[in-house]
Amino acid sequence: MFLAETNPLNSSALVFPVLECLHIAGWALSVGTIALVDFRLLGVGLRKQTAAEIAKDLAPWTLIGLALILLSGPLLFSSDPDMYYLNRSFQFKMVCFVLAVLFNYTIHRKVVRSGASAGAGVAVACVSLLLWVGVVFGGIYIAFV
Amino acid sequence: MLLSLSQWIQSIGFLAAIRESALVYPVIMTTHLSCIAIFGGMILMTDMRLLGLALTKYTVTEVVTGLRPWKRVGFVIMVAMGLLLGGAEAEKYYHIPYFWIKMTFLALVGVHALIFRPAVYNKTEEIDKAPMIPARAKAAAVLSLVIWTGVLTMGRLIGYYEGNKSGDAPVAELRVK
Repeated sequence: MFLAETNPLNSSALVFPVLECLHIAGWALSVGTIALVDFRLLGVGLRKQTAAEIAKDLAPWTLIGLALILLSGPLLFSSDPDMYYLNRSFQFKMVCFVLAVLFNYTIHRKVVRSGASAGAGVAVACVSLLLWVGVVFGGIYIAFV
Repeated sequence: MLLSLSQWIQSIGFLAAIRESALVYPVIMTTHLSCIAIFGGMILMTDMRLLGLALTKYTVTEVVTGLRPWKRVGFVIMVAMGLLLGGAEAEKYYHIPYFWIKMTFLALVGVHALIFRPAVYNKTEEIDKAPMIPARAKAAAVLSLVIWTGVLTMGRLIGYYEGNKSGDAPVAELRVK
């Protein structure tokens, strides 16, 4: 279905960079809003509200960002699927991404909502931020392997 | 003169080392982009709040003052990493029009701050008391979104530029990935 040669994405020089800009904007929106919750768990940023309140208010924006990422990402992938599929850095990125999303909507959400101990909050925030940094490192390193 | 300056900058020992390193360069780039997520995400949410589209349960003051120190931290790291990335390949960037457009947008960020900091961002309590969000606050938000989108887009396009080989004036050409 996705062949690099027949993919209409590859017929224009502008499509890929424009999609990439959308991809990065989606990343800023989703991870930026998740980071605000993580910063609250670490005790900084928006301090008047609890992490649970911030997470609830930002949730739709995180989702919009994720939707942008998930719409543009597979299209970018389809421009050269063989290269991405075999690229170790891409594989690393996908593992981090799946873990980060799963973590965000399971353990992360549970700890944020329950307002568990500060220690648990700090741990969860660190894991979340680390996973997301792993995603961007894997993404950038694709071009270097 | 700028060209020789850019050649001199990138010949500085540690900047040359960054350019030639297989790992340091991507790590710096990762930090640059991670700060974009944090710093850019905060700018986006602040602008959305000024437009009345997000975080409406929070006062403008809470959003602006609560996020300000973290925007500063993100901005400083982002600029520091940007200087390292740019310095490591200064001569290459000198020839890339997108780089100069990006720098122009960054200068506009400064102009935006000069105009709207006294008029909007330092007057958030006034905005919170007003029955409606004033037009100048919405103008500040829209312009901020436009300028930062420009910075992001031009930043990304830098990576796609291939100079023309004849050595004449730079012509924007995009390479098909």
